[in-house]
Amino acid sequence: MNGDPAAVETEDLQKRYDEVVALAGVSLSIGAGEIFALLGPNGAGKTTWISIVCGLVRASAGRARVLGHDVVADAIAARRLVGLVPQEINFDPFFTPREVLAFQMGYYGQRPDRQRVDEVLRALDLSGKADTNTRALSGGMKRRLLIGKALVHRPRVVFLDEPTAGVDVALRRDLWSYVRQLREEGTTIVLTTHYLEEAEALADRVAVIDRGQLVGLDTTASLLARFGRKQLRVRLTAPVGPVPGAVAPALPAWLLDLGATLDASGRIVTCPLGAGSPAALLARLATLDPPVADIDTEQPSLEQVFLTLTSRAGGGEVGR
Amino acid sequence: MNAIGFRTLFIKETRRFLRVPGQTLAQPVVTTALYFLVCGYARGGRVREVGGVPYGRFIMPGLILLGLSQNAFLNTSSSMFIAKLQGTIVDLLVAPLGVVDLLLAFNLAAILRGMLVGGIVWFISALFTGFEVSHPLWVLMFGFLVGLTFGLVGLVVAIWSDKFEQLNIVPTFIITPLTFLGGVFYSADMLPPPWSYISRVNPVLYMVEGLRYGVVGASSSSPWLGLAVTGGIGLLSLALASWMLAAGYKLRS
Repeated sequence: MNGDPAAVETEDLQKRYDEVVALAGVSLSIGAGEIFALLGPNGAGKTTWISIVCGLVRASAGRARVLGHDVVADAIAARRLVGLVPQEINFDPFFTPREVLAFQMGYYGQRPDRQRVDEVLRALDLSGKADTNTRALSGGMKRRLLIGKALVHRPRVVFLDEPTAGVDVALRRDLWSYVRQLREEGTTIVLTTHYLEEAEALADRVAVIDRGQLVGLDTTASLLARFGRKQLRVRLTAPVGPVPGAVAPALPAWLLDLGATLDASGRIVTCPLGAGSPAALLARLATLDPPVADIDTEQPSLEQVFLTLTSRAGGGEVGR
Repeated sequence: MNAIGFRTLFIKETRRFLRVPGQTLAQPVVTTALYFLVCGYARGGRVREVGGVPYGRFIMPGLILLGLSQNAFLNTSSSMFIAKLQGTIVDLLVAPLGVVDLLLAFNLAAILRGMLVGGIVWFISALFTGFEVSHPLWVLMFGFLVGLTFGLVGLVVAIWSDKFEQLNIVPTFIITPLTFLGGVFYSADMLPPPWSYISRVNPVLYMVEGLRYGVVGASSSSPWLGLAVTGGIGLLSLALASWMLAAGYKLRS
């Protein structure tokens, strides 16, 4: 740990709207150059957290800093360092994408630079529409223009609030590689997304917020290791027969002890891969009656982690 | 101060109204020319002069003020309100633009539009009444102040408004009636009491008279009073707009 300030740091950040608690004291520290994903169900407080850090919402309590600059006391210095892609699409119907990007550079105290504007338009596949009125852009194009506005002034910290909602798959992949490129150039990226696949593909660390509270925070790999479970999916040649005296079919006791479950068809057994030897498990599965037809493994996903963390009331599972 | 930021926003606000010249420049010109033709000639047939000033020249300053004030008001109010409605206000709120940058950029563009319209109205009126201006520097200075004041009022109203209906309250129910009852077409001295006294409570009367002094060289009240009233309203609006922007009133939740 060196003496450099965190890219973004919040201490006990709170926001109340009358009786509603939108943020109940979120403390986070995001290092420079990180890609950090903020996950949570709708209304969890992700956008509120980003909005406070970007100066759009005033915190009820707590502090937020961007690269050491307090977002209230030193607001202008903090704002110079950030770029924001808001969740809601907005556009100015009087201007073209090229003009909008040039204005955006100017707002940040930079002389409009045609080369830089062209570079961003190209990166976001908007060159063909550079001089078309923004009204004529499709929804996906408008969202890409929002991303361009957040990036054109080369901010050191970029907040992407649902950046790829409504963007087609191919372009989403392009944007991911652009985000990675930005990180390589030293930009810190903070993103919220509903596509957990996106967070899994991009993020170095993930925070899960639920009901205004931080319920999980760790590297993506550690969260997957801790909360995601690799499991075997076993398809049997015939449905499992009923246990004498029981109405429903049942698995052998040793399999139930491992946490295995049987699906409604009675043919698919899902068994978590625990600490034991996979070879020993496979050997025991070979003794099943009816016999095994096929075996598949399922990788742990961030979706599992997300569901595990957000299903715990008041979780409080905070790593590092 | 963010000089490039301020200049960029000023250019953007100026380009915005120049993009729709039919709505922002031509429309008020046509309206005012019609006012001039109908009121100036129809009434001018019976009322040949007011206080020794030919009727056409007498109404010219009021029409200029009407165009100038309405357009300065509309520039800030429509831009700010549309930005709130479309969500593009986020661009300005997240950017490193301070209160001074925002106030200067929005209001200088409003003054420019107001003075452009005022200038065009003067030109069209002058085709009928002559191009002579008694105190041109006073007219420019006074016009600038009126533009600034109404630009600030427009900003305040747009920040306060949540609906288009609220936005229209001020031009429809305040600016236009006060201007029409503010001695544009008559002198307050021509009204019988108590209307002449009631007229003198109307601040727009002093603005019209202030501009009338500059254009025709005569007014029914001191032009300095007009300057003081305009400056007073301007200062009040400046304080209110500055507070709204600094506190984030209805802008930052």
